[in-house]
Amino acid sequence: MRKYLSGVIILALLTMIVSACGSGDSSSSSSSNTGTSSDTTQTTDQPKDGGNLIIGVAADPVILNPNYAGDRVSLTIDQALYAPLFQVNNGKKTFYLADSLEPSADKLTYTLKLKSGLTWHDGEKLTADDVVFTIDKILDEKQNSMLRGNFIIGGKPIQAVKVDDTTVEFKLPQVSPAFEATLVQVTPIPKHIFENEADIEKSPKNNTPVGSGPFKFKEYKTGEYVTLDRFDNYFGGKPHLDSITYRISKDANASNLALQNGEINMKYVDPQDAATIESTGNFEMKNYSEGRLSYLIFNENSDTGLLAKKEVREALSYALNREELIQVAYTSPDYADPAKSFVTPDGLYHDNNVTTYDNDVNKAKELLQANGATGKKLRIIVSGGNKAQEAIALYVQQKLKDVGVEVEIQSMDASAYSTKFTDPKATDYELAVGGYIMGFDPDAYSILYTSGSDSNYTHYSDKEVDQLFTQGASEADDAKRGEIYKKLQEKIASDAVIYPIAYTKTIVAVDKKFGGLDEAVLKPVVIFEDPSKLYLK
Amino acid sequence: MRRLIVRRLLQTVPMLFFVSIVCFILVKAAPGDPVRSFVTPNMHAADIERIRHNLGLDKPAYIQYFIWLKECLTGNFGYSLINHQPVLGQILDRLPATAGLMASAIALAVILAIPLGLLAGANRSRWVDKLVNMIAYIGISLPLFWLAILMVYFFSIKMHWLPSMGMRTIGTSSALDIIRHGILPCSVLAIGFLTVYVRYIRSSTISQLKEDYVQIQYAFGSNKRTILFRHVMKHVLLPIITLLGMSMGDLVAGAIVTETVFSWPGIGSLGMTAVRGMDYPVIMGITLFSSVLLILGNLLADILYGIVDPRIKSTR
Repeated sequence: MRKYLSGVIILALLTMIVSACGSGDSSSSSSSNTGTSSDTTQTTDQPKDGGNLIIGVAADPVILNPNYAGDRVSLTIDQALYAPLFQVNNGKKTFYLADSLEPSADKLTYTLKLKSGLTWHDGEKLTADDVVFTIDKILDEKQNSMLRGNFIIGGKPIQAVKVDDTTVEFKLPQVSPAFEATLVQVTPIPKHIFENEADIEKSPKNNTPVGSGPFKFKEYKTGEYVTLDRFDNYFGGKPHLDSITYRISKDANASNLALQNGEINMKYVDPQDAATIESTGNFEMKNYSEGRLSYLIFNENSDTGLLAKKEVREALSYALNREELIQVAYTSPDYADPAKSFVTPDGLYHDNNVTTYDNDVNKAKELLQANGATGKKLRIIVSGGNKAQEAIALYVQQKLKDVGVEVEIQSMDASAYSTKFTDPKATDYELAVGGYIMGFDPDAYSILYTSGSDSNYTHYSDKEVDQLFTQGASEADDAKRGEIYKKLQEKIASDAVIYPIAYTKTIVAVDKKFGGLDEAVLKPVVIFEDPSKLYLK
Repeated sequence: MRRLIVRRLLQTVPMLFFVSIVCFILVKAAPGDPVRSFVTPNMHAADIERIRHNLGLDKPAYIQYFIWLKECLTGNFGYSLINHQPVLGQILDRLPATAGLMASAIALAVILAIPLGLLAGANRSRWVDKLVNMIAYIGISLPLFWLAILMVYFFSIKMHWLPSMGMRTIGTSSALDIIRHGILPCSVLAIGFLTVYVRYIRSSTISQLKEDYVQIQYAFGSNKRTILFRHVMKHVLLPIITLLGMSMGDLVAGAIVTETVFSWPGIGSLGMTAVRGMDYPVIMGITLFSSVLLILGNLLADILYGIVDPRIKSTR
């Protein structure tokens, strides 16, 4: 019997050794774990070439193809892998693949000029054909592109036509000032790679992406990391860093430790953890606006019908204090700016000088009394585990109790929460904590606030607002258009459709040995607009 | 014996069928919607519906199940709803990492649990027993993720002995490197298993020591150590085979928490992403895969039992 036993044990040991070897070739070298370790602390601010940057990300990328990427991690990696046509910051365009974008006099045709001599990472030429191919695939109903709806204006698709190798004309079915905001989301994919793929989303070619950005694909180890290497022929000049690695680390606490240990050079940090990371003195903390609004939703469609009355929504707003909310949810005013308008500060025509109801307990009590809402119970839904949301809910509960309204907090798991939040028919809650990033053109907000829209989570319905949004979408005159959106911001604020809390900021901790952060331009969601500018000090 | 194996294998089929139905119902009954998990507010409603239709998610749930089953029977386990890669490929990609980690953790736990359990059982109520018991209780009560973070803090951040995360140093792939990365997660998991195994072996030792054959050995003048390690141990180890058989499922299901904390690229962390995104093809794939191994593991344990302990075979 002992023979069998030792057999079992040997078998177990063997499995252990075999499986350890099976996942990697055995070229045993005692490698250090810290990658580029923290012992290099010279401070020369001159950009130097070489070095590897390790960015910590919270999940595997879903798909390394910009036509399908919707999640933060894929978008971040795609930004280094694929160059966009152009980007917009504070209303100013920076051109990447494109050289210019000019509308015709009637604003129905836009002419896009590409830079000359562009190439894909595999050496093939990047031309107008690739741009047209990309737009065609977005419009193709068989391809699951999330962007398709943006390319349909008034029921008709936008057409992209090749004029010559570096020129593309976009023909719009009707005037649409939001077109540039649509085009900014487009990143060309290579025609010569995907031409014969029936279903691009499922194509195995997405696993070895060929892009046009400053870094080219090297390897992806599922659940571990994605490594990109410098692309020497990048049109914007040879990148400084040799490579960028995106290291996947799902547990926030563990990845904060890895950051302090030098196994990660850069990552997002929560406001709650920022002070701890900063106190090590090894990291530069960058906070920048995400173009995101964090807000409290008033569900006018709830079965109690309480919030359908504007006065009740006003009263609830009066009971709250924006500064306290920011303190409670984001720990410091450094990490969030007070919000009053539904348009984020990066948006065109943003105006934070609008009516606001807050910080007046007596007024709140009065209004509630007058509208028979005193002593009623409200339900607030939050995504459990989201620290900021939970903090906001607890604060709201306490503040509304002070004015005689009971609040029941319903904490649910993230997917249940988002299902309920986005379900147009959900009537079993009054309040919810939400947030959105809608981009720089205010037309994008129409789906949130116009009557009957599926994404109108508040179920607010007002003829004037609907009309203003329709006008704004097709008003070609910039000054007039600005007036329309100013009016909209005031109207929605004075109707207390939502309670805007804050324009939140992202905090990124970057190891102090890296420079060029400002040149690379910190950008919402993707972290850096042009990672080619980063360098090792 | 052969008839037994064939019968058991045939029993596996309805069992898997049942598992797949229960799993599917649970996934579908859970609140949440796979499409909603990747919807952004600036997506148009028409795009959402089109994608839902293209993924076949607009069909009634039972039809979705039959489509899945049909594909499954032809060897196609479907595509992930999240990243659209084949499910089987994703599981096989991550299998070595999980199997390696779990096998070494279980092996380590068994190797340590046997002497500890025997000593504790033989010295019942004395200080060795109390110490082992105390450690086991602490081990059971400690949340593993907390222990994991604590170990990372000490061994990686303070002492710089071991890497805190991942399975290998970026860009390298040597066995030694993988083992170095595996030490912390393997130890954490082993502690988890150890606490269970030790208590199992301890109580089994206590009951064996009351058996007649032990008294006879004493009567023949054998010393305590000989009795314990030559005779009692053999009997005590029998239930370990069952425990090991049961852990076969763990080999592929992975350890969600530990894998997540250590960013170990195994099936556990794949499963967690799938559950969060309501990605039913991946959830079903992992469940079926681990059910098959659990069932096979139990079968293997029963066969081994018959070999190791002939008394059992003769009663069948």
